[in-house]
Amino acid sequence: MGTFVQLVVDGLSAGSVYAAIALAIVLVHSATGLINFAQGGMAVLSVYIAWWLTTRGVPLIVALLVSIVFSIAFGALVERYLMRRFERGDPDTAVVVTIGLLTLITGVAGWLWTYNNQQFPSLFSLDTVSFLGVSVSQRSLGTTAVIIVVMVALQGLFIGTKLGLALRAVANNPESAAFSGLPVGRLLMVGWGLAAALGAVAGALVAPQLTLTPGMLDNALVYALAAVILGGLTSPVGVVVAAWLIGVLENLAAVYVPFIGYDLKVAVPFILIFLVLLVRPQGLFGRKTVVRV
Amino acid sequence: MARAVDVPASSLRQRPWVRLAAPLLLAVVLAVLPLVLPESTNETLARIGVFAVAVLGLNVVMGYTGQVSLGQIFFLGLGAYITGYGVQQDWNIVLVFLLACLGAAAAGLLVALAAARLGGLAIAMVTIALPIVGVPLAKRLSDYTGGSQGLSARFADAPEATGLYDDQWQLYVVLVIGGTVFLLTRSLVRGKFGRAFAIVKGNEAVAASMGISPYRYKVLAFTIASLIGGVSGFLYMFVIQYTSPETMSFGHSIELLAAMVIGGAGSIVGSLLGGAYYVLVPELTNQVDSSLTALLQGVVLLAVLFVLPGGLASLFRRLGRSRRRLRAEPGPGASPTTPLSTAGSATATEEPGKERQGHA
Amino acid sequence: MTLLELEGLTASYGPVQVLEGVSLSVPDNGAVGILGANGAGKTTTLRAISGTVRTGGRIVFDGKDIRGLRPDQVAALGIAHVPEGRGTLGDLTVRDNLRVGAYLRRDRKGIAEDIDFCLELFPNLADRITSNASALSGGEQQMLAVARAIMSKPRLLLLDEASLGLAPSTAKNVYDAIRRLRLTLGIAMVVVEQNANLAFTLVDSATVLETGRSVLTGTSAELKGMDEIRRAYLGG
Repeated sequence: MGTFVQLVVDGLSAGSVYAAIALAIVLVHSATGLINFAQGGMAVLSVYIAWWLTTRGVPLIVALLVSIVFSIAFGALVERYLMRRFERGDPDTAVVVTIGLLTLITGVAGWLWTYNNQQFPSLFSLDTVSFLGVSVSQRSLGTTAVIIVVMVALQGLFIGTKLGLALRAVANNPESAAFSGLPVGRLLMVGWGLAAALGAVAGALVAPQLTLTPGMLDNALVYALAAVILGGLTSPVGVVVAAWLIGVLENLAAVYVPFIGYDLKVAVPFILIFLVLLVRPQGLFGRKTVVRV
Repeated sequence: MARAVDVPASSLRQRPWVRLAAPLLLAVVLAVLPLVLPESTNETLARIGVFAVAVLGLNVVMGYTGQVSLGQIFFLGLGAYITGYGVQQDWNIVLVFLLACLGAAAAGLLVALAAARLGGLAIAMVTIALPIVGVPLAKRLSDYTGGSQGLSARFADAPEATGLYDDQWQLYVVLVIGGTVFLLTRSLVRGKFGRAFAIVKGNEAVAASMGISPYRYKVLAFTIASLIGGVSGFLYMFVIQYTSPETMSFGHSIELLAAMVIGGAGSIVGSLLGGAYYVLVPELTNQVDSSLTALLQGVVLLAVLFVLPGGLASLFRRLGRSRRRLRAEPGPGASPTTPLSTAGSATATEEPGKERQGHA
Repeated sequence: MTLLELEGLTASYGPVQVLEGVSLSVPDNGAVGILGANGAGKTTTLRAISGTVRTGGRIVFDGKDIRGLRPDQVAALGIAHVPEGRGTLGDLTVRDNLRVGAYLRRDRKGIAEDIDFCLELFPNLADRITSNASALSGGEQQMLAVARAIMSKPRLLLLDEASLGLAPSTAKNVYDAIRRLRLTLGIAMVVVEQNANLAFTLVDSATVLETGRSVLTGTSAELKGMDEIRRAYLGG
């Protein structure tokens, strides 16, 4: 029983990281109509910035804040100068551009800071805490909590603020939004910036455990995409639930299903997708969309 | 006074005897080349051939049918492993070849059946899992794959009867098998299937309304791509004589995709150029500064996407066109195509982001 | 006082020339119609004004040349465009649609008052205030689109095919509402409309476009009387 609870908590923690990246992907897609395969890579770059600052003696919290500011700026600039001409066009082409961006970012990180594993300091202590009579990792609980707080804050931004209203309007119909005076280009940059910040937070939380390398979030990206497939591009809630499900199930499968074990747990989300597809071809939450010719 | 009649300058390509002579000439050159070139060049050419076939497969599903796939390298790896295992078990080599092709195709069919159903970018999102799951799977199934150590298989020794050196034999085999695959694929994409692929790539709703099922054709294209991937895996084992889980890593998957785009998406010649790029460029960049390799690759890929979306193949096409234009033939200007959009479609000239007005 | 002046307006979509010289004049508080058949260039003219299509010629609004400005910049000057197909923000609620309309304003109390004003003007919207805009009927969406446009307190309203896709009685209701609006707020309007009968209930004058050119201009009374108009657009 104790192991089970630990696995679930660790699974929720991992799932929260996938959820954050998946939400970033959904946000970018709703604003600009493309899937950003470099979402994880962009997050890793921000984590490297934070790490580099800590090696220069900057306190962790400050380094993290700087890296989040960096990620917002980076996300905005990528949208404006790299992706803008591919938005609202052929989505497959846009994906290839993001793959190019991923390659470039990985290359830059590898060139600047080598491909070796770097140790990233943890925000939370590695001690355990007693939860329901079981000792669970503080880091897992902390990671889950922080990401939940960030997601709730984002939701608050979208529903409650004028900026959030503007972002939703632009995501829905950019040309019509412009007719009401919304500066569409600038808002798209903000959207990409927020998505990048989400990724940066998630990356910083998981870096201590995974150790920092340029390819650190490649696996997480795969999980995030699986969560997007399962949850549907139009359903942020669905995506978060799917991500948690994936995190918990893969952890459980690693221990309780001997064939899968630790190294093959990355197959779990795809087995899930396969099963779901047999029953519901459009995914768990997806809507069947009508495309006008 | 009689004026000299202007003979229209017909392009060299259109004269009938050229159409027959050119491929013949090419065949002769290819037949002689391995005998003349040094061993290292033959080996490099053989490797280029292997990856040209792999890129060609990727082109079928991605360049011609417009579906981003990050899984092609997995089928290459699968083909290589099947080949290696079969050779180690001393099976008949033709049987091994067929198993490699069919095994990869079967795997591809399964993946496509599931992924194509989801529509949109699902094929891209699902195929990313293939290399990521493939590597640990290969390590795990060590009874068949040799685990992390990998699998060695030597079966590329030149038969006594031919009197050839090993490297020459290898290159000949690659040329014959690879060449056959290229020719078959070329007639596929120029035929009715190719046209169907193009329509699905351009607009799935239009395809469906014409009775062309996007789902079926995506599955078909993906299966063909994986079959060709299996062939390239066989050739890979043949030439390189060793495979390991690393062969199908995520990094290699992206490099293969980049090679396809840079060589020229949706182009037969582009696949050859892509294979050359895949083999030659890392060698080059590693000599300059190995830690810069990934960075330079990213820069080149982005540069191509921005400046030359049709890849290197389109560069040659444009040069060819401008040469013809210099001969006073007013040809239509080439509209730059994005790598995965249909060439010359009307949307290329419209203002981006504007509503299509049915009536003004 | 001329609020809007179009002179020799040209526009093209890529290689296709759609407008070949359109001229129009809208006085302060005036309502001018743009009539014509499909493909004549009516919608393109409005898009030229709001900056969504590249144009040649002159567009002068309140003495300022606004050609080449971005759509959001044009909106900030006080021109509100209700596009063809309404452009409602389907995934947002009715209230949020109205709030978006007021995006450029900073007076919170004024915005709240104006939302109430819109809901009085269009009672069906009040009933559906929390629904997503996409759940509204065609006529309701049209009214929402107009309400959203006036939330920005514009000086000029561009109305594109407000009757499109609506049943005749619904279209009449929409035009009645817009007429009430004009009476209460005194906004100037440019109204693109295929249904000339309906247009003449709203506008003081109109210009008729044919293949991108103004071929006829006059007051509503004059135009209604003309045989050509009667035959071509008013059903004989």
